[in-house]
Amino acid sequence: MRRSSGEDYEMNGSKWKSIGVALLLASTPLSGVMAAQDVLVLARAEDPPTADPGVEISNSGYTLIYAAYERLVAYKGASTEVGPELAESWTADAAGLVWTFKLANGHKFDDGTPVDAAAVKFSFDRLIKLKAGPSDAFPVLKEVEVVDPQTVRFHLTAPFAPFISTLAVSGAAIINPKVMEHEKDGDLAKAWLAEHSAGSGPYRITSWERNQSIVLDRNEHYAGSQPALKQVVIRIVGDVSARRLQLTNGDADIIEQIPLDQAEALQKDASVVVESNPSMYVNYIYMNNRQPPLDDAKVRQAISYAVDYQGIIDGIMLGQAKQMRGAVPSGMWGHDPQGFQYTYDIEKAKALLAEAGKSDIHLTYTFSQADPAWEPVGLALQASLAEIGIKLDLQAVADTTKRELVANGKFDMSPGAWTPDFADPYMFMNYWFDAEKMGGPGNRSFYRNTEVTALVKEAGSIVDEAKRKALYVEAQKLSTQDAPYLYIMEKNDIFARRAAVKGYVYNPMLIQVYNFGTMSKTE
Amino acid sequence: MAITRIILPRLILLLFVVLGVAVITFTISHLIPGDPARMIAGDRASAETLENVRRNLGLDRPVVEQFTIYIGNLLQGDLGTSLRTNRPVAADIRTFLPATLELGTVALFIAICVGVPLGVLSAVYKDGPIDQIARTVSVCGISMPVFWFGLILIYLFYAKFQILPGSGRLAMGIVAPERITGFLLIDSLLQGRFDAFRSAVYHIILPGFVLAFANMGVITRQIRASMLDVLQEDYIRTARASGLRKGMFIFNYALRNALIPSITLLGLALGDLLYGAVLTETIFAWPGMGTYVVTSIQTLDFPAIMGFTIVASVGYVLINLLVDLAYMLADPQIREV
Repeated sequence: MRRSSGEDYEMNGSKWKSIGVALLLASTPLSGVMAAQDVLVLARAEDPPTADPGVEISNSGYTLIYAAYERLVAYKGASTEVGPELAESWTADAAGLVWTFKLANGHKFDDGTPVDAAAVKFSFDRLIKLKAGPSDAFPVLKEVEVVDPQTVRFHLTAPFAPFISTLAVSGAAIINPKVMEHEKDGDLAKAWLAEHSAGSGPYRITSWERNQSIVLDRNEHYAGSQPALKQVVIRIVGDVSARRLQLTNGDADIIEQIPLDQAEALQKDASVVVESNPSMYVNYIYMNNRQPPLDDAKVRQAISYAVDYQGIIDGIMLGQAKQMRGAVPSGMWGHDPQGFQYTYDIEKAKALLAEAGKSDIHLTYTFSQADPAWEPVGLALQASLAEIGIKLDLQAVADTTKRELVANGKFDMSPGAWTPDFADPYMFMNYWFDAEKMGGPGNRSFYRNTEVTALVKEAGSIVDEAKRKALYVEAQKLSTQDAPYLYIMEKNDIFARRAAVKGYVYNPMLIQVYNFGTMSKTE
Repeated sequence: MAITRIILPRLILLLFVVLGVAVITFTISHLIPGDPARMIAGDRASAETLENVRRNLGLDRPVVEQFTIYIGNLLQGDLGTSLRTNRPVAADIRTFLPATLELGTVALFIAICVGVPLGVLSAVYKDGPIDQIARTVSVCGISMPVFWFGLILIYLFYAKFQILPGSGRLAMGIVAPERITGFLLIDSLLQGRFDAFRSAVYHIILPGFVLAFANMGVITRQIRASMLDVLQEDYIRTARASGLRKGMFIFNYALRNALIPSITLLGLALGDLLYGAVLTETIFAWPGMGTYVVTSIQTLDFPAIMGFTIVASVGYVLINLLVDLAYMLADPQIREV
């Protein structure tokens, strides 16, 4: 007995030793995890659906597309103006129907093939043939013509003022025509491009482990100066606390989708920078203009006066937003800094309601959890409206259901979020106020004012920017009086990065898109 | 004998289950208000674009026709194409299922290896300190929210002491072994990739333990209860009286009998593990079925939701079949009937 217990003791001793060794070993892979100076790790909540410029409509997918492809034109630094990228110059005819682009020399796809006019034609033909979401930015594109290898010409069916701006969108990425080698069952290489890239941007997708990580490596043939970051890794980390720990531990360099309170806490960490920039992501509320009593402008105005805008911004957004002034957000041309703004004024609201002769109003606020602010905003609205005698019921539904109900006009009030696809007031004015775009496409309050419709239509079809601006300002003035929407707030775009990450340039048009090619790390 | 009596009816049942599940999920997914075409083309898509997307996906056809096509494809093993990722659903499932199964298997292994001995000791030393500890552990396991427990462990072992990784299946910079089974632990060993094996082991410890913990509690409690019953039986008393060594009779006689009622429990536990994986996978960024299903539901990706439901229901039927077979092996009475 004695001897055996002695043996046990010996065994236990060696067991503990081996556990110790195992723990030591366990600590080694962690220290190796810390990313090298030329590798940037971005952690975000969900896997991008696809990386196909012809199909993808999410910002999460744009992260990849903007890194891997070039377009004819690009946003200049932090501004919403476009400048040359693949095209070195362009001209338009007087009517704005024919646009000729001269391609710059030296741009190559990631396999070394030069980018030429045929590739531009191929990319746009493919976009139009696919006819998925991104093609909607080109409603009047008739034909793309190859003039010579360095010259390409676009023919439009009607003048389209924002045309040059639309060439900077994700869908306008120029794709290597060789992708057709990967075509299957006439899918225009859709299946392949969903997870691969074939562009001339600074990076290319080299691996994609679904729901785990995506690796972008430098495109050796990139025409611009060589990026400092050799590799960009996008890691999918669903839980926000886990993302935050990865950032503070140094395993991630950038994390996205952080709740406001966590952003506040992160700001105290000296090794972390919380990027909070004014964006064109607006939160507003559709009021169903077709449905009584909201078909009465006085009722809508009364509601507009009953909202505690600053209370919402301070209380719900912790100050990370600002009240909207008109439909076109600040930061985009066409914004009217003198435009009328509704303020929180309960007495005025009551008076307007009395003027309208409406009482006992009972409305429903249909929302989903797609935006974390929608529920608290609904609650704030419920409290404010109660003060003027309007009863507001909150109805929570799945996001897909909410979208469907809104598209079909089956709601009283419903919150919405909007970001522009291209940098032109068209993205707001023509979508929100054109009576022909009711429902899903943009006019989600089913607003009809023939004068406003005429103004935005005209502004969308002429090229003179000063004249367009005047038309849009006028249209905003008229529509704000009608109060078809509740203009709540322009939200800040927030993410956190390690202080060692340098060179990030924020562009309000490119949410979740990073200028990886010119970023670096100093650690 | 066993084949005709137990396996065959189950296989026939399986067919009906798959068909039933397909009908139910198809109906439900088409009753939910929401337009998958809108999810793909974007909210502001023009009517024309929406129409085109619908046509491409076959969503413009009558529902009955869509269902017939779906079943026809299903019989050929085709689960359709994911609306969200443009990839075949079967390929998506092949990608994500092994990760979930690997995590579930490891968790079940931990749960059994810790839960069974703890239950036995707890029963043998009833009311002693071991029993107290075991009962505390099992109550904690059953009642502690997975989410909270997972975060505590990540905080301690990843953020604070930095001895274990907190997310993913492999460390960054380690190339995944070539895919054979999809189980990283197996694939890396088969290819002699010890760096990948080691990394995979470290990565699976925390999520595996979190997932195991709840089931460990259930198993401990169940084993303890049935052991206590068995230890009261006459034959155990006889065995004891005849001077058999304690360890011998506990393991050879008592445990064997106490395990029989636990077999069903283990079957259920396996099902639970797959279900609990949704939360665990989210916290630990584990690229498995859990996260896949959640995103599919959010985006109304019908083919993906249905594909998952069908695979899961087949899994449940097969687990039940295994449970019955295990019963047969464990209890000769059932075998002989």
